[in-house]
Amino acid sequence: MIARLSSLGPSERRAATLAVIIVAQALSAMFFLGDAVADFLDGGRFDVPHLLAETTAALALAVGVVYLMIELRRVLSRMDRMETGLRAARGEMVAIIEDFFRRWGLSPAERDVALLLLKGVDNETIALVRGTAKGTIRAQSASIYAKAGVDGRAQLISLFLEELLADDAGLPGGAAESG
Amino acid sequence: MSRSETRESGRSGARELRVWDPLVRLIHWSITLAVLINSFSNGEKAFHEWVGYAAVGLVIIRLLWGLVGPRPARLTSFPPDPGAAIAHLRAMLRGGRKIHLSHNPLGALMTYNLWVTIAVLAVTGYMMGTVRFFGVSGVLVAHEIAYNWLILSVVVHLGGVFLDSWRTKVPLIRAMITGRKRIPDGAEVE
Repeated sequence: MIARLSSLGPSERRAATLAVIIVAQALSAMFFLGDAVADFLDGGRFDVPHLLAETTAALALAVGVVYLMIELRRVLSRMDRMETGLRAARGEMVAIIEDFFRRWGLSPAERDVALLLLKGVDNETIALVRGTAKGTIRAQSASIYAKAGVDGRAQLISLFLEELLADDAGLPGGAAESG
Repeated sequence: MSRSETRESGRSGARELRVWDPLVRLIHWSITLAVLINSFSNGEKAFHEWVGYAAVGLVIIRLLWGLVGPRPARLTSFPPDPGAAIAHLRAMLRGGRKIHLSHNPLGALMTYNLWVTIAVLAVTGYMMGTVRFFGVSGVLVAHEIAYNWLILSVVVHLGGVFLDSWRTKVPLIRAMITGRKRIPDGAEVE
C-alpha cells in the first residue's frame, strides 16, 4: 500500500530529531554551566562580562531544553492519540463490514470474495488466491453485487465509505483536525 | 484463505505498544556506549573524563525527562519501592507472568542503582582531578569499587533482561531499540 497513515513516519522522525537535539543541547548547557561554576569558584565575579555571558548562555540553553522536552512530549502524545484512533476505527470498520455482509446474507465464500473486492484485489488475483476459476469469481461477485443492490465494485466500496462519512455531526470536533 | 491473510497483516495476534520514546532509547544506548568506552579505552585521561561527564550529564537529562516525559518514562511510573520489588519477586517465583509497560519493580531498582552508581563514579572521578583530593588513595579506591559495582550491576541488568524476556515472552532488547513492546495475546498487563 502507498502512503499508509498507520506508519506515522514523519512524526516518528520528528520525535527522533527532537531527542537528538535535546541531548546535544542539554550536554552543552551543562558544559557551560559547569564552566561558569568553575570560573566562579576560581574567584570570578558576575560583573565580569565573560562569566555573565557564559551563565546567560547556559541558562538560555537549559530553558530551551525544557521547552524542547515539552514539545517532544506533545509530539509523542499526538502520535499515541492517532494510533489509538486508528485502532478503534479499524475495529469499527471490521464490525461494520461484517454487519453488512450478514444483512445481505452472503455465503462464507462470498464474504471472502467480497472482502477481497473491498481491498481492491482484481478478479484474477482473487481467483489465484482462492484457487478457483476466474469465471467462478465473476459469478460470485455478480451475486454479491445483486445481494447488496449495487452496480459494481465502486458502488460497493462507496456503501462503506458513506457509512463512515455520514453522521459525523455526532463526532466531537471532527476527527481530522483534533490534533 | 483471506482470513489468514488479514491476520498476517498484523491486525490481531500479539499487540504492539509504544513504550520507550526516542529520548529514553537515545539516552539508554548513549550511556551504554559511554560505559563501554570508559571501560575499554585506556587512552588519554582528559578523554576519559569527558566521557564520564557526558555519562552523568545523560543521567541528569533522563531524570529531567522523568519529570516532564510521557507516562512510561516518568519516574512516578517506576518509583524505587523495595517492598514492591520483593512482592514482584515472590509473584515471579509463583509463576506469575504479569507484564509491566514501564520497568517492573525489580528493573526499577536496577535503573536507580545504575544512575546512582554512574553519579558516584563521576563525583569520585572529579575529586581525583582536584587539587584537594589529588593522590588521596581513598578516592581512587572508591572510584574503583564503584566501577566494579557498575560492572556487576550491568551483568545483573542483562541477566534480568534475558530472564524477563523469556518469562513474559516480551522481547525486551528489541523494545529498547524499536521502542515498542510486543505483548502476547491474553497477557496480564500493568
